[in-house]
Amino acid sequence: MESSQNQWKDRWLKFWSVFKKSRIGIVGLVMLAVIILMAVFAPFIAPYDSSSTESVTIEDIYSPPNAAHWFGTDDAGQDVFSNFVFGSRVSLTVGFFAAFISIVVGGLLGLVAGFFGGRWENFLMRFTDIMLVIPDLPLMVVVIALTKPSLLNIIFVIGLLGWTTTARVVRSQTLAVKSRKFVLRARAVGAGNGHIISRHILPLVMPILVVQAVLVVSLAILNESALSFLGLGDPTTLSWGQMLNYAFGRGAMSVGAWWALVAPGLGIVWVVLGLTLLGQGLEQVLNPRLETHHLMPHKPTVEDKAGAQSPAEAESLLEVRNLSIHYINEGKPPARAVENISFTLKKGELIGLVGESGCGKTTLMLSLLRLLPSAGQIVGGRVFFNGTDLTAMNDEALNKIRWRDVSIVFQGAMNALNPVRTVGEQIAEAILKHEPSYPREKLGARVTELLDLVGIAADHKEHFPHQYSGGMRQRAMIAMALACNPQVIIADEPTTALDVMIQAQILELLDSLRKKLGLAIIFVTHDLGVVAEICDRVLVMYGGVTAEYADVDTIYNEARHPYTQELLKAFPDLTKPKKKLSSIPGYPPRLEDLPAGCRFAPRCPASVELCHNEQPPLHELGKSHFASCHLIEASK
Amino acid sequence: MNKENFLEIRGLKKYFDAGRPALFSRQTKYVHAVDDVSFDLRRSEVIALVGESGCGKSTLSLLLMGLEEPTEGSIFFEGRDVTHLKDHERKELRRKIQMVFQDPYESLNPTQTIEEIVSEPLQVHGIGNSEAERDERVGKALEDAGLKPAEVYLHRFPHELSGGQRQRVVIAAALVLEPEILLADEPVSMLDVSIRAEIINLLAELRITRQIAVIFITHDLGSVGFFADRVAVMYLGRIVEIGTMLEVLEKTQHPYTKALLSVIPVPNPRLRRERIILQGETPNPIDLPSGCRFHPRCPVALATCKESDPPFISQSKTHSTACLLLVK
Repeated sequence: MESSQNQWKDRWLKFWSVFKKSRIGIVGLVMLAVIILMAVFAPFIAPYDSSSTESVTIEDIYSPPNAAHWFGTDDAGQDVFSNFVFGSRVSLTVGFFAAFISIVVGGLLGLVAGFFGGRWENFLMRFTDIMLVIPDLPLMVVVIALTKPSLLNIIFVIGLLGWTTTARVVRSQTLAVKSRKFVLRARAVGAGNGHIISRHILPLVMPILVVQAVLVVSLAILNESALSFLGLGDPTTLSWGQMLNYAFGRGAMSVGAWWALVAPGLGIVWVVLGLTLLGQGLEQVLNPRLETHHLMPHKPTVEDKAGAQSPAEAESLLEVRNLSIHYINEGKPPARAVENISFTLKKGELIGLVGESGCGKTTLMLSLLRLLPSAGQIVGGRVFFNGTDLTAMNDEALNKIRWRDVSIVFQGAMNALNPVRTVGEQIAEAILKHEPSYPREKLGARVTELLDLVGIAADHKEHFPHQYSGGMRQRAMIAMALACNPQVIIADEPTTALDVMIQAQILELLDSLRKKLGLAIIFVTHDLGVVAEICDRVLVMYGGVTAEYADVDTIYNEARHPYTQELLKAFPDLTKPKKKLSSIPGYPPRLEDLPAGCRFAPRCPASVELCHNEQPPLHELGKSHFASCHLIEASK
Repeated sequence: MNKENFLEIRGLKKYFDAGRPALFSRQTKYVHAVDDVSFDLRRSEVIALVGESGCGKSTLSLLLMGLEEPTEGSIFFEGRDVTHLKDHERKELRRKIQMVFQDPYESLNPTQTIEEIVSEPLQVHGIGNSEAERDERVGKALEDAGLKPAEVYLHRFPHELSGGQRQRVVIAAALVLEPEILLADEPVSMLDVSIRAEIINLLAELRITRQIAVIFITHDLGSVGFFADRVAVMYLGRIVEIGTMLEVLEKTQHPYTKALLSVIPVPNPRLRRERIILQGETPNPIDLPSGCRFHPRCPVALATCKESDPPFISQSKTHSTACLLLVK
C-alpha cells in the first residue's frame, strides 16, 4: 500500500513542521539525543574500562578533576567520567523499559475502563485510586527489599507501580472521544468494539499517550536513582543512582570529593529536564486545546486621524464608513476579510447583516468595538458612534463605550455563560464590571427587572445555566447585554442553533425591546428569512464586500445583485411546495485567495468577462439602494 | 402485512429511567422519550418527522438504527420483526439502513482522510474482493454525494472541507453500503441556508437515482416541504398529525402544526403574517401533562383537553390527527 505509506510520511512531515517551531521541544530533544548517543557509544567515549582497577595507586583515590580524569576519580580510583558514561546505559535502560511497562499497563486499563464503563470502570478506577494513595517510594523499597535487587526486578517494580496516572489520563481521554458523534456514526455503520477502538479511539488517545510516556520515562529514571541511592539497586551494575550511593557511603563528602557526586547528579537532572522539555514541546503540538486564540483589543490604527470628519447624517447613532480589515500573518499575503464597508444605524433601527459563513460578518462586528484577534487590523475607514471616531479612540475611552453603549449578544449561549455561577450572579457581575459604583442594594431589583424584560420569571434568578433551556439561555444573554442600558446591540447569529418556535420567540423579544427601549440592533445572520421578519434595512455581504444594501422591501422584491437573487431563490417558500430548491453551486472564496474581479463572479450565473477581471464599484440605484455589480452599469 | 410497506413501526415506546424523585420514594420516574409511535414507510418514499427539541425525534432515530433498545413495540423490515436482533443480524441490517447525522463537524473523525472515512463501512462489512473494487465503490459514493471528481477529495482531511462538503462526505459514507433507507437526523440545521438547498436537493435526487427511502428528521417544517411525500408532526414523544405533505401544509388540522407552520420565516416582508408564537417550551417528558399533552401550550384548548387523551381521527385515507377539537 504505497498510498498509505505516503500518508504516514505526510503526517510525520506535518508533525515535524509544527514541532520544529517549538523551541522548548527541540532543546529537550537535543538534550535527550546527547545522552542516548553517549549511552550507545559508551565504549568509544569512555576513556577507561568501567571495571578496570589495574594500576590504581593511592594517589588515584578521590583525585580531583585533571587532564587524565576529567571528572576526577572515585574511592576505588576509578575514572568518574567513564563510570558516568557507562552508568547512563543502566539508568536509561531501566527508565525506558519500566516506562514501557507502565504505559502498556496504564494505557490498557485506562482504555478498558473508559471504553466499556460500568462495572469494569468502577473496579479498575477504584483500584487505580488505591494505588495512587499508596506512596510509591516506600512501597518500592519494601518490594525490592523482599525480592532480589536485580536489574530485572527493579524494572518490573518501577514499571508496575508507575502506571496509575497514565491510566487516569487515558481513561478521561477515552471517555471524551467515546462520546463524540463519529463514534456513534461508526456504530451505525455496523462497526464492532475492536474496530472502534483501533480506528477511532486509539488515534485520538495516542497523542496524549505519547506525551504521558515521555513524562513516565523521566519518573522511572528518578525512581531508579532513588532506589539505587538507598542501596536497593542491582549491586552488579553501575547506574547513576548507584554512583551516588557509593560516593555517599564511602565518604566522598567527608574528604570533600564533590566531583564524585556532581557527575551522576547532573546526569539525572539533564535527562529529566530534557524529557520534561520534550514532553512540553510535544504537548504543544499534539494537544490542540493549548493553542491560543484570544480576542484581544488591539491598538488604534497609527494612521493620522486629524482629517476625521464628523458623520454626514446628523441623526445617525452608529456610522461605519469605508471600513477595511485585513488579517496580517507573517510571511503570508494579508487576508482581506472586510473591504470598504459602509452603513449607518439610526436610533431604534434594526439592520440585518446577511451572508454565508466566512464572508466577514463576524470580523466586521468585532471590529466595531475593536475586539479582533491581534492579527486582525483595521487598515482603513472609520466607525463613528454619536459623532466620535471609535477607530481613533484610546483603549480607556473605548472601554467606557464597550458594553455600556454598545453591547454584543454572541452565538452559542451555552459557552458564553459560566456553568458554576447562577444566572442572576452573572448578570449582576456584568452590571458591576461596567458600572462599579452601582448601588449594591438596588442590584437585586435591577437583575429582576432585566430578567423580566427578557421574559424570564424572577424565581429563575438563582438557577444555574444548565437548568435553563437553550431559548432561556439566549434570553439571559440578551438580559446581560441590556445590563448597562446600551443604545446599540450587536446580535451575532442569536437564533442559529435554536428551534423555529424558540427562534420566533427570540425575534419577537428583540423586536419588542427595540420598540420599548428605543434600541438600535445589528442582527447578524446567514438566514434571509429571519431578516425579512424584523429588519428595517439589510446589508448583504459577500467575500468581505458589500453586495447589496437597501431597505428590507427592496431587498426582497427588487434585488439587483445576482447573489441576493440567488440567496432568495435558495430559500424554501412553502407557498410553492413542489418547486425544486435552487442552490448556489460552489463555495464562498477563501479570504487569502480572492478572485481578481468581482468576488462572486466564479459562482455567478450571469457573469461576463469583465466580472472576472475587474472589481465592480458600488452603484447607487436610488434612495439608499446600493449594489456592486457590473451588470447594473450595463443595464443603465 | 402490506407488501408495499417495507418498514413498519408499531406502538414503539422508549422510556429512560429518570431515577426516584426522593430517596425513599417507591415509584421510579421515567422519561417518556418516545411514547407509542406507529408509522409505515414505502420504498423510495420520503417521510419527514417534524418537532421541536425534546419531542423524541432523535430517540426515535436511535431506535430505528438499533442503537437503543425499545421498551415496547416492534419494528418490521420487509415483513420481518427486527426489533430485537443478535449482533450479527443487526450488523447485516445496518447495511440496509444508514444514518446521516446533524453535525458534520463532529461526525467525522479528524484523524482520518476522506478515503478512509468512506471506505471504512466496506471494511467493517468485508465488502469488495479487491482493492480496485472497493476504490471504485468509494469513488462512486463520493461522486453520487456530489463530490466530483472524487480523486480531489480522497486524501484530504475533514478540516480541509467546508460544512456542506463534510455533510456530503457523511452522506457518501452512508451510500457506500448501498442502503435502502437513509435516516437523516437534522442534516441541514448546522449549515448555511445557501448550502441547505444543495443537501436537500442531493437527498431528493438519491431517492430517484438509487431508490432510497429517506426518513428526514427536522425541527423546521420549511426545509422539508420540497421533497417529503409525507409529514409526521411529533410532540412530546407522540405523533400528533400525519399526512401527505400537501395535506399537512394546506389542510392543517392540529393546532401545534398550525403554530409550527406560522413561525416559519417567510422570505418577503410584504407577506408578513400573523404568527402563532407558542409561549414557553416543550414540557419535560418526565411529568407529562394530563389529557392532551399539548393542552398547556395550546391556544385553542377546551376544558375537556385537560382530561382525555385525544384519539387519532382520520381526515382522509392518508391524513390523521390526534386532537379533541376534531371529535364531533
